[in-house]
Amino acid sequence: MITDSTLMVDLFLLTLACFGVGALGALSAAGSPALARIVGHVSALLGAISALTFGVAGLVGGTMELNIPDLLPVGGAAFGVDRLSAFFVLVIAVGAIPAALYAIGYTREYAEKHSLAGIGFAFNIFIVGMILIPLARNVLTFLALWELMSLASYFLVITEHEREDTLSAGWVYFVMTHAGFAALFLGFLLLAQTTGSMHFAEWSAAAAHLGPDTRNLVFVLLGIGFGSKAGVIPLHIWLPRAHPAAPSHVSALMSGVMIKVGVYGLLRVAFDWLGAGPLWWGGMMLIVGAVSGVLGVLYALVDPDLKRLLAYSSVENIGIILLGAGAAMLFQATQLSGLAALALVATLYHTLNHAAFKSLLFMGAGAVLHATHTRNMEELGGLIKRMPQTAALFLVGSLAIAALPPFNGFISEWLTFQALLSSFQISAHTVNLIFALGVAALALTSGLAVACFVRAFGITFLALPRSDRAEHAREVEWTMRAAMALLALVCIVLGVAPSLVLTPLEAIVFDLTGAHADMRFNLTAVVANGEFGWVAPLWIGLGLVMFLLAIPLALRLLGANQRQRFYETWGCGRALQTARFEYTATAFANPFKRVFTVLYRPIKDLDIEFHPESRYFVRTIEYYNEGRLIFEDAIYRPLLGVIETLARRARVLQSGNVHSYLVYILVALVALLIFAV
Amino acid sequence: MASLLRQILKTPVVTEALKPDDDPQIDILARQIDERARKRFGRSLHIREVDAGSCNGCELEIGALNNPYYDIERFGMHFVASPRHADCLLVTGPVTRNMADPLKRTYEATPGPKIVVAVGDCAHNCGVFVGGYGVVGPVSAVLPVDAVVHGCPPEPRVILLGILAALEKRP
Repeated sequence: MITDSTLMVDLFLLTLACFGVGALGALSAAGSPALARIVGHVSALLGAISALTFGVAGLVGGTMELNIPDLLPVGGAAFGVDRLSAFFVLVIAVGAIPAALYAIGYTREYAEKHSLAGIGFAFNIFIVGMILIPLARNVLTFLALWELMSLASYFLVITEHEREDTLSAGWVYFVMTHAGFAALFLGFLLLAQTTGSMHFAEWSAAAAHLGPDTRNLVFVLLGIGFGSKAGVIPLHIWLPRAHPAAPSHVSALMSGVMIKVGVYGLLRVAFDWLGAGPLWWGGMMLIVGAVSGVLGVLYALVDPDLKRLLAYSSVENIGIILLGAGAAMLFQATQLSGLAALALVATLYHTLNHAAFKSLLFMGAGAVLHATHTRNMEELGGLIKRMPQTAALFLVGSLAIAALPPFNGFISEWLTFQALLSSFQISAHTVNLIFALGVAALALTSGLAVACFVRAFGITFLALPRSDRAEHAREVEWTMRAAMALLALVCIVLGVAPSLVLTPLEAIVFDLTGAHADMRFNLTAVVANGEFGWVAPLWIGLGLVMFLLAIPLALRLLGANQRQRFYETWGCGRALQTARFEYTATAFANPFKRVFTVLYRPIKDLDIEFHPESRYFVRTIEYYNEGRLIFEDAIYRPLLGVIETLARRARVLQSGNVHSYLVYILVALVALLIFAV
Repeated sequence: MASLLRQILKTPVVTEALKPDDDPQIDILARQIDERARKRFGRSLHIREVDAGSCNGCELEIGALNNPYYDIERFGMHFVASPRHADCLLVTGPVTRNMADPLKRTYEATPGPKIVVAVGDCAHNCGVFVGGYGVVGPVSAVLPVDAVVHGCPPEPRVILLGILAALEKRP
């Protein structure tokens, strides 16, 4: 419909201008924190709205080619848009609009200790970097923007740099993101060298002629690079550190949106740049997805830190997204392109959904943090009475991420299930086995996710407050609530009206795979894979609402006693009811710790200090039940050890002796001369 | 496993039929209670037992209501684990200082309409514990009592009569 490329370019430039004004405006208003806060975040809000329009226009079919030759070396800056890029711009905008709105209120309390000009500047640069990455059309543009996004987000992560743990989290993030960048850089250079082009557009044609070894190597390198940004296990270790440390609106963006840029890269590699690959590519992706899903949710389930719990849950959701992507690759490799398209639709749908509900949950956690100044669930509780609106919105997010109908998580996980279950159409037994593993992993993941968010919501918001901080919590200001309400609305709309999203998703997937997804849908129902699976989200939603309305109505019609009498919660007649009688987050997680003890390898410790006169009297009891982080212990510590040993060896060269440095220069010169001749 | 199955198959029905001289009133009494409870509460009777300081003699007799001889559950009468589920409180013993407040809380936590039956002489007038330093007084000093069951301890049949009396007090 919209093929007028000037409109697209105008929107593109408008977006850039808004973020530019935001970044520079925030910097130049450094003298007045309130002004910097408003200018920085309102401009970001406008820019994100403009980006949303750009994304919608791109999805409808708008195209754009924009080359700025002198901006960067080696081919200049090149931007373009296709449906996949437009979709990811849309996803980023869906996260960025509420995040900017939320930040207006949330960053108010940073004014005392931190530079709001810096926060506003980095925030704008971070978002614009993310928005431009899917639009980059050559290697250097892509890598420059990638670095821009990573650096801006690094500075946002260490906003609260006065805290020791924030700095160490930032350091882990910095190292991991650059290790990923190095892998990307190698992969891109290898691909550019073998195909002879720095332009992405020429890769898909040229890659088909590459040798299998090169293709495999490029796939692994780019997989590691994008996988580390997406936060797949075992490259996830920065995620549970950096996301909780960042200010909550930034956590929402990083967890809801930034990791999706990694997913964008993986999809580009697998379906565009390299084209269909051998079976093990898809199998690998599916297994990584399954492992990330199950382990991610298991770690989330036992974590007492509300924001770290959400970060682990992002690892889980990336796992679900990759399950879909891996299934799509396997179907593509076995010539079942209709099913591949179905799996991709599920993947993209879950990507969008996760952006909505994870941003919502992080903002909810941020509101709790804002009101109580603690992320530790053992100190929360009772907030539903003190912050009823935040609690209701957090509940919507929890239901959506637990994949319960009629919210959006349900429909995308349902589609992923349909795609995985259709694997019986493949006749290779090993592949079937991998799919069976994927189905089992997804089922376990979604079940554990429900338990995880029952815990997150129940311990944080219900019962009595466990500390003074929670006792004196107050509802947050309206910009923060409005941002959350916006996302909650998105969660509901995406859940009850999937046809709104499925139409554009089908078009994207058709562009990528050249096949129509094996599904039919209308306003009320979705039918997947022939008549294999059928669901009617709108009717489920309406049915649930009717059912809930029907109960009081039926009671009234039956003439039940409507009189209400309020009395304290029944506590077995105890005179004193305090928060110490409550179920704790640790206790809730303990059965899971016991069942999956192989994984957590908990270190249990019971310290009892007795009264000096008699062992029958106890002074204090301390109980530790810390889980060990097996990936850190098994992979990263040995790796760090090796690097440290090597570095120690290399230090011999740096003796500080000027004479030996002169020898080095001489040796280098001679070597170069020999090399040159 | 096989031996267990064999044992199960070989063991005959060991319960005995009622003898003609057994108490036929239980059957009639329990049916009357059930009928009245259904009229009053719209469902069968749910009972919460509260020991406010008894010597446990009354508890033995109340426990006997559930034994195979009386088995009042067959008439729908059910001892529940929380006052939130109860229609009827059976309170035993003199009300001690420690139990006075929990007893009041239990009464408040029971949804209306509800009946209170004080079971045993101690519940009626503190029995041998009257004047004890830890005793607040009889149940009627703490709660509005609908019926009192005399006896130390009262027989199960008498307890049922007491419940019936409480049900009949307010139609």
